[in-house]
Amino acid sequence: MNRKPYSGRLLAGLAAIMFAAVACGSTSTPAATSKGNITIAGFAFSEGSVLAELYGQALQHAGYNVTFKLNLGSREVVAPAIKSGQIDLYIGYAATDLEYYNKGAGEATGDATATTAKLNSHLQSISLVALTPSAAVDQNAFAVTKATQQKYSLAKLSDLQPVAGQLVLGAGPECPTRPYCLPGLMSLYGLHFKSFKALDTDGSLTRAAFKSGQIDVGLVFSSDGDLNQLGLVVLQDDKHLEAADNVVPILRQAVASDDAKNVLNEISAKLTTADLVQMNAQVQLLHQDADAVTKVWLQQHNFGM
Amino acid sequence: MAAIESLIKWFADPSHWSGPDGIPTRLLEHIQISAESVAIGALIALPIGIVLGHYGRMGNLAINLSNVGRALPSFGILVIAFQIFGLGDLPIILSLTALAIPPMVTNSYVGLREVDPDIKDAARGMGYRALAQLLRVELPLAIPLVMAGIRTSAVQVVATATLAALIAGGGFGRYIIDGLAQFDYSKLFAGAVLVALLALATEVSLAGLERLLTPPGIRLVKVAAASRATTFKTA
Amino acid sequence: MGTGLFLQAQEQPWILWDWLFTHVSRFTDALQQHIQLTLVAVALALVISIPLGVAAHRWRAVRNPAYVVFGIFYTIPSIALFALLIPYTGLSATTAEIGLVGYAVLIILRNVVVGLDSVPPDVVDAADGMGYRPIARLLRVELPLALPAIFAGVRIATVTTIGLVTITAVIGLGGLGQLILQGLVDNFRTPLVVATVLSIALAFVADLFLFGVQRLALPWSRGV
Repeated sequence: MNRKPYSGRLLAGLAAIMFAAVACGSTSTPAATSKGNITIAGFAFSEGSVLAELYGQALQHAGYNVTFKLNLGSREVVAPAIKSGQIDLYIGYAATDLEYYNKGAGEATGDATATTAKLNSHLQSISLVALTPSAAVDQNAFAVTKATQQKYSLAKLSDLQPVAGQLVLGAGPECPTRPYCLPGLMSLYGLHFKSFKALDTDGSLTRAAFKSGQIDVGLVFSSDGDLNQLGLVVLQDDKHLEAADNVVPILRQAVASDDAKNVLNEISAKLTTADLVQMNAQVQLLHQDADAVTKVWLQQHNFGM
Repeated sequence: MAAIESLIKWFADPSHWSGPDGIPTRLLEHIQISAESVAIGALIALPIGIVLGHYGRMGNLAINLSNVGRALPSFGILVIAFQIFGLGDLPIILSLTALAIPPMVTNSYVGLREVDPDIKDAARGMGYRALAQLLRVELPLAIPLVMAGIRTSAVQVVATATLAALIAGGGFGRYIIDGLAQFDYSKLFAGAVLVALLALATEVSLAGLERLLTPPGIRLVKVAAASRATTFKTA
Repeated sequence: MGTGLFLQAQEQPWILWDWLFTHVSRFTDALQQHIQLTLVAVALALVISIPLGVAAHRWRAVRNPAYVVFGIFYTIPSIALFALLIPYTGLSATTAEIGLVGYAVLIILRNVVVGLDSVPPDVVDAADGMGYRPIARLLRVELPLALPAIFAGVRIATVTTIGLVTITAVIGLGGLGQLILQGLVDNFRTPLVVATVLSIALAFVADLFLFGVQRLALPWSRGV
């Protein structure tokens, strides 16, 4: 007869379900292990996930409780995050990171050790530390299609100088503000492109732009696994715009215990550029997961999985 | 506050007002792609909605089209369009047009349906033939809702066009996406402000246009109806 | 451009079923985050909209400013709103929820007011005559009669929010939007397509569920 209490109870029940779902939905905090918590971030491109998974899983199996924040963004997002303590560790590249933290002072060289030492001199005051650089390298590289290469007889970046005004450069939106990207091309090589197209950092937009001819020159990474298959040719960096971009873990001094540093350095010591290229190829071409691919690498290198 | 200061500085910088990344260029890009999408959408949606409303057919479809439209994730639609059509304006315009159609169909349908049957009878009694009745009696009465549909679509298209920057599109969304990538807080904030202003300007100007186009006699009666425009937010 | 280029992209099927079946947990995790973000937004919006709607229904002085403020909020594109909030609330769920709640409030608020407005004055009079105090009258007569309209608002708000959650992928969240972003970044169609379809399906399921609840709770009202 009187329906109101019924509907009232039903609605109250609904509300209870809703709140329960929200409460139960929140991820349960894992039990703290003996060695502590580390949050590792990865850049927003596939190699970023590969490196984050690689070092992160190694830490996990050494007994750390690791939280992964993959595809966090570019360095412009990751660096503030580590400075503010939102993350503890990210895997950087020696020269590019140096030029980020020294605000483009141009101190990086082709010597990985010297570059990393300089990097640490800047990191010290903000309570960060860079570990020993790996032999594995991934540099910015500028590529053209085979057709463009043949049309203008291009082998190295200097060859672009006379024809740059007819060509469009494509890269991530951060390129115009990065010393190793557009500003460097302009000042070191004297390249003044017809225009710049903001795409993504070596992702699907860049590849699509090559395919449709919307860009002539594009930024890729030297360790990409699919350049050959895409018919792209990397132009040689004859004036050495790109410096020693060796893989190097950067972490907050607060979590830089000797044990953690040992684990990370061990990975760096065993990682080669060929390894990176292969892992990238598996992820980019075969759509394998970064964590699966790195797990295999860790097993092959006896990291006690 | 520091945020407002850096924002004002960004707008005061003359280099931000010229060139391919300048405010006028981006504004034109944004307006152009939005206007094209709404226009094409209107060309498709309005006849459908008006005809369906006039004959009172397929009402469920017309009304549920908005439900379907609301359920479409605009981000997903844009990226799928990119996968099919590659870069450029085509995938963006297709996506925006698809999102613009539902509110215009629903609102025109409802607008036509809401015309008082007595008025339609009277028109027939006065000798109006079907098409004339539609154009000279029903449509003017339906204008508030038809315009509300166009207005809703336009504001949503302007909002979704902002997302197009994620597939290398232009417009003010460029400032937001680039600002995020470069962690340039002033650019990000400026882009957000510009987009918000453009969306508000679109809403206000089309509301004004609606009032202009509404025959004076109807203006008094139909105020309540216009506020019943379907709420439609996809971005 | 020559043959052989971008073989990957040209031949990539829309769904790699093998990959899909071995990565179900990705989708269930994303779905969970998506549902969570939506539930919190709609629940908070209800908590705000009902009292605010009651006040707006009673007092003109509340109604117009509320409509204007939330109307402006609503018109601002979500990505712009998130961008404006980032310096204050960071790349966090809070930023996302502030936007999502704001949008949902406008939708539900309008329906609360319209619903209350549509309660026949005779009924209100009768309730007064029966001795109901104002609050009791509100809770036991007016609001229940406004429920159909409120439900309609909740349905629209839920479907809308589910679509908007995907955009929060740009600030690191996103639920199913994360998988769409992955599809964009990795040039990988499977997560893109499946996540988009799941998002649409989720919206329909939610709408149907709420419709069913409405029918159960308010059998006297046909679904609006």
